[in-house]
Amino acid sequence: MAALPICLNFEGDFVLQLVGVDTEDTMDQVAEKCAHHTVNRRVAPQPEKVMRVRLHGSSESYPRDMKVSDAHWRLTETIDVIFADK
Amino acid sequence: MYQIPREEWYDLTRAVNWTPKYVTEEELFPEEMSGARGIPMAEWETYDEPYKVTYPEYVSVQREKDSGAYSVKAALERDAYVDRADPGWISTMIAHYGAISVNEYGASTGEARMARFAKAPGNRNMAIFGALDENRHGQIQLYFPHANIKRSRQWDWAHKAMHTNDWAAIAARSFFDDIMFTRDAVAVSIMLTFGFETGFTNMQFLGLAADASNAGDHTFASLISSVQTDEARHAQQGGPSLKILIANGKKEEAKKLVDVSIWRAWKLFSVLTGPIMDYYTPLEHREQSFKEFMVEWIIIQFERQLADLGLDAPWFWEDLTNDLDITHHGMHLGVYFWRKTVWWNPAAGASPEDREWLEEKYPGWNKTWGKCWDVITDNLNNDREDLTLPETLPYVCNMSQLPIVGMPGDGWEVKDYQLELDGRLYHFASEADRWCFEQDPERYKQHQNLIDRFLTGQIQPADLSGALLYMSLGPEEMGKDAHDYEWAEGFKNKNKVG
Repeated sequence: MAALPICLNFEGDFVLQLVGVDTEDTMDQVAEKCAHHTVNRRVAPQPEKVMRVRLHGSSESYPRDMKVSDAHWRLTETIDVIFADK
Repeated sequence: MYQIPREEWYDLTRAVNWTPKYVTEEELFPEEMSGARGIPMAEWETYDEPYKVTYPEYVSVQREKDSGAYSVKAALERDAYVDRADPGWISTMIAHYGAISVNEYGASTGEARMARFAKAPGNRNMAIFGALDENRHGQIQLYFPHANIKRSRQWDWAHKAMHTNDWAAIAARSFFDDIMFTRDAVAVSIMLTFGFETGFTNMQFLGLAADASNAGDHTFASLISSVQTDEARHAQQGGPSLKILIANGKKEEAKKLVDVSIWRAWKLFSVLTGPIMDYYTPLEHREQSFKEFMVEWIIIQFERQLADLGLDAPWFWEDLTNDLDITHHGMHLGVYFWRKTVWWNPAAGASPEDREWLEEKYPGWNKTWGKCWDVITDNLNNDREDLTLPETLPYVCNMSQLPIVGMPGDGWEVKDYQLELDGRLYHFASEADRWCFEQDPERYKQHQNLIDRFLTGQIQPADLSGALLYMSLGPEEMGKDAHDYEWAEGFKNKNKVG
């Protein structure tokens, strides 16, 4: 269990942001922590969709229950959080 | 008494050179300060500045300019224009003074480097005037805002800003350190005067003087005009240096200095001038959009000047042109959202009328930038100001030191350009920012941007309040909405009517 700073790129937003996550967080928890700094601040919520996490620029999202520690992110790794149907 | 006509003695006095007897030429002009790049002295003696002036002429003109600007200030002070000016215009002045005044003093040392170390006698001669210019610009742009300190402590940031770790000050210092404090005389002539001043300062000041006049601020207009006319002269020092480098087989090196300087200047311009022209200047006083201004005064001018020198436009020219629809909108939104981290009060410039103008000037604005502003506006109109303020830091580019921004909303495209070096992950806002870094990694790699400082524990407490302390922003100094959210009211009424 360790804090890990990441660089967030949230769908629909205009700026990358510094966000702190924990290596024990699941990808769903990462998405929630990221949404706190973006959704309802500069990006409108999309309640009918789920938020998925992927490595910046990748087309594949991580499994929602995957832990951060299993993603082998570098310090300040950049991730995308996108709205998806499931 | 008979005076020899100017044209008979001018060339002799401006081209003074001598053969050193007590020291060697290398000792007199150390390479790291002079930057002659192996080009012989005889070649540097061909340096021919296009604008020539004698000392008596210089002093006489400067005296006139100073007495004009100071007289206007004295006369209009009684009029108390500042007390009735639009708050967006006040913010323009406060932002400008903080970002520029102390750097003018800095530019004086850059000029002094050329005055002492340039091997080209003509450059040394011109740079003496340049150093005097910049000294005057520093003085006048500290003196004018000083009169307003009684109105708000933010005016004090004319002097204070560059001595703090405010993010905007870090960005400005990073740029000016790179182009004028830590370069040899030849590089300074190219990066400071050609790359930065010709295109950006000189032209920006022209635009700003016109905006000031339109806004009825004749004090600021006369001040800026008096500065701009100096810039127009001393910005011409880089051209002759470039000609000599190109004629002596150093074209690629010359081009690299130009390209790095233009890109870095553009980024600073996008955060300082972009928001002022498209958002802070009251709608009725806006003549050109920032994009129109950039295309007319910067893009076309540079293309012409580079072509005259036989240089191609920089490889990133298309990227820069495309950026005119993106970067400054992002910088403005960032400055507005993180408004507590700046020393001026950002004007949102996002009322229904403003947005109509923005959509006309930047088709698609409402579906992209407007989407973010919609959320901000709704929050303000639903008493949720807290959601219009940040709880973390924006990620900052390792080259420009400015937030990494891109297109939001329906056209979402925000990209991080990465580089891993010696086990450290660097983040850049664009291909061109990363390219600048890659031209000389040893020069840039140790620099810590604001995020690096945060992550290494230099900012305490490690949250936004610690960041504000680190930036030396007191409660009376940190920015707030320039119009106290009045602009958002228009949407409330619109909804009611609808």
